[in-house]
Amino acid sequence: MQSKWDIGEPEKPTINSETEQLKSDLLTLNMGPQHPATHGVLRLEIWTDSEIVAHAIPHLGYLHRCMEKHAENLDYRGVIPFVDRLDYLAAMNMEWTYVAAVEKMLGTEVPRRAELIRILVAELNRIASHMMAFGTYAIDLGAFTPFLYAFDEREKILRLFEEVSGARLLYNYIWIGGVWNDWTDEQLERVANFCDVMEEEIKKYNELVSMNKIFIERTANVGVVSIEDCFAYGATGPILRGSGMKWDLRKNMPYGLYSEFDFDIPVGSSEVAGQAGDCWNRYMVRMNEVNESVKIIRQVIQKMEPGPVMGKVSKIIKLPKGEVYVRHECPRGELGVHLISDGGKTPYRLKVKSPCFTHVSMLPHIAPGQMIADLVATVGSIDIVLGEVDR
Amino acid sequence: MLNVDFNKLAELINQNVSGANATVNTTEDAKTDSSISVEASKIFSVVEFLKTNKEMPFNALQAVSGVDYVEWMEVCYIMAHFDLTTPRELILKVKVTDRVSPAVDSVVSLYPAANFQERECYDMFGIKFNNHPDPRRILCPDDWEGFPLRKDYVAQKVYNGMEVFPDHKMNYDDREFIVRQDMIKKAQTQAAN
Amino acid sequence: MSTNHHQTGSVKDYFADLFSGISTTVIGMWITFKYVWAVKPVSIEYPEVREVLPERARMRLFNDVQNCISCTQCAMACPVDCIYIASEKRPEGEEIKKTSNGQPIRLKLTQFTIDTALCCYCGLCTVVCPTECLTHSHDYEFSQYTIDTMKYDYLAPDVIAWRDRIVKS
Repeated sequence: MQSKWDIGEPEKPTINSETEQLKSDLLTLNMGPQHPATHGVLRLEIWTDSEIVAHAIPHLGYLHRCMEKHAENLDYRGVIPFVDRLDYLAAMNMEWTYVAAVEKMLGTEVPRRAELIRILVAELNRIASHMMAFGTYAIDLGAFTPFLYAFDEREKILRLFEEVSGARLLYNYIWIGGVWNDWTDEQLERVANFCDVMEEEIKKYNELVSMNKIFIERTANVGVVSIEDCFAYGATGPILRGSGMKWDLRKNMPYGLYSEFDFDIPVGSSEVAGQAGDCWNRYMVRMNEVNESVKIIRQVIQKMEPGPVMGKVSKIIKLPKGEVYVRHECPRGELGVHLISDGGKTPYRLKVKSPCFTHVSMLPHIAPGQMIADLVATVGSIDIVLGEVDR
Repeated sequence: MLNVDFNKLAELINQNVSGANATVNTTEDAKTDSSISVEASKIFSVVEFLKTNKEMPFNALQAVSGVDYVEWMEVCYIMAHFDLTTPRELILKVKVTDRVSPAVDSVVSLYPAANFQERECYDMFGIKFNNHPDPRRILCPDDWEGFPLRKDYVAQKVYNGMEVFPDHKMNYDDREFIVRQDMIKKAQTQAAN
Repeated sequence: MSTNHHQTGSVKDYFADLFSGISTTVIGMWITFKYVWAVKPVSIEYPEVREVLPERARMRLFNDVQNCISCTQCAMACPVDCIYIASEKRPEGEEIKKTSNGQPIRLKLTQFTIDTALCCYCGLCTVVCPTECLTHSHDYEFSQYTIDTMKYDYLAPDVIAWRDRIVKS
């Protein structure tokens, strides 16, 4: 009796032809959306030639919330919680950019203490964001421990933010006309103590990770972005600085009170390791930026003077007819807010130019020719947050 | 806007790109930004001129964004010059009157940054970019209908067999929500007339 | 110190590479090893030990309905529209009560519901409240089995009974 499993003569094995095919064809791999190295829900469609990436095609939109459409139906104060959720790791910087756009059109006078507090929270949040970038980058490259150390420091900042604003991640703290709550002297003292700790910690991280031979071998001369590519793709922030351009909006086009502060702009170079524009230099720009932020925070605490923290803003905000484009230096690059008002109570159009979106568009250009493991290092060094890419 | 003499730049554009018809949109209010409008058909040559000229070059394209004014649509090219001595910013605008099949020329061959930005503009406003290398949607799914950031946008009823905004999940007891539904209906009737 | 020397490929550079590889790894291991005794643990054992929240912490919203004047300013300010308020005119002759800060309660509150599943904890509604009856409590443990039960009706007797636990003291 013929069994139902008996399917007769086996076919001629085709394995040889398949291996032949593998040699000539490209293999399609999906990296993400649930991949730890993509820092969220980014899907990279990678066409590989054995271990070498031939094409990388980013597929976006898994976290798309159409925040720009939401903003058209909200009053100007109500947009702030939505702006928080763009880059949830640096929400203070996001808020400040949007609020600055509204204030520019409104012509609001912001009290000096509020301006100083804004710089303080923006720089603290920059440190927290760079600590996250440092920790996750180490995880991408196979080192788990630095992540825990970085989170310990980040936790101290989040704790301070929770005390002044009430939330740990999505603050709604910087308001149109000033900031919500005042800092007490005790909290400022804790920030000063934190600055001392942070400087020591950065030295430790540099010994632990940055100067580690294995780490340098993994990242130096990998994913090189030339300065011309940066301009062509509109890359900003640590990527532009890592490629060797000494450009920082806080210095070159100062906003707020940044012109009063003394700090350096770290840039990438081939002095210590690798070459300008590679992963190691981008990473190192972030680590050095933490030191510069600590410098700024110390000066803020020195300059801090008593006073009000909220300016005079009418209860119902109506902007004049017109448009404004404001860009600020956020931890991941330049965030631009293009705000158009038709004279009503809600924004007519709010376009957010997000740095991460721009940086993701560079991936098809820098990925080809790399090994897959190097692509992970490259994506990590670009440090994207998908909330900002997809909006 | 920083370091840009708008009248001079508009004059330069008109001299070098024939038919560009560059005009300066000044605002009486000093708090808001000025911009330059050019003809939609000449946008490629204008951007090429802005990139390559010697007097006021712009080496980076920051964003391409659309605006829907119901009667017409606008595409804003936000350009910047990264330079340590004279940084610049500029909002360049083109007007698109055709709502059914709006189209302007793509500038991807000049600035690769425009690739994703123009795709987003197409995704949100339905403005087609001629000669774009990859004219797909980017944030919405490829088979999504309608363009969300248009003022008369209404979400489709069914997507891939799933009901969009099912009744049992909507908060109809919310007063604000009902008010906004009326606004949408008003915009729809305006667009139909 | 430059670490680019391995590109030349000489024997000296090979050993220099080897040395720097081993020495930097040992430095890193020493830093990690110090954590064994020099650093106290920072994590807490959650259900037994609870963190004391800061005074301004924004957790679940609570409305003290006895002080609410149904002005609907919170519902207007809410960016996600999660507050539902209904009120009606008081019948003639009924006594007009006053809130704790002396404002007369002219309208009779018939519904005050907050959809906590929709709430984004931004705090905009608590700022506009004229009688300060809508506040963020420190209550953060309110997981539910279904999403419908996340809608809290603050006029319901069981919520009023929770008042002592929920309200910030």
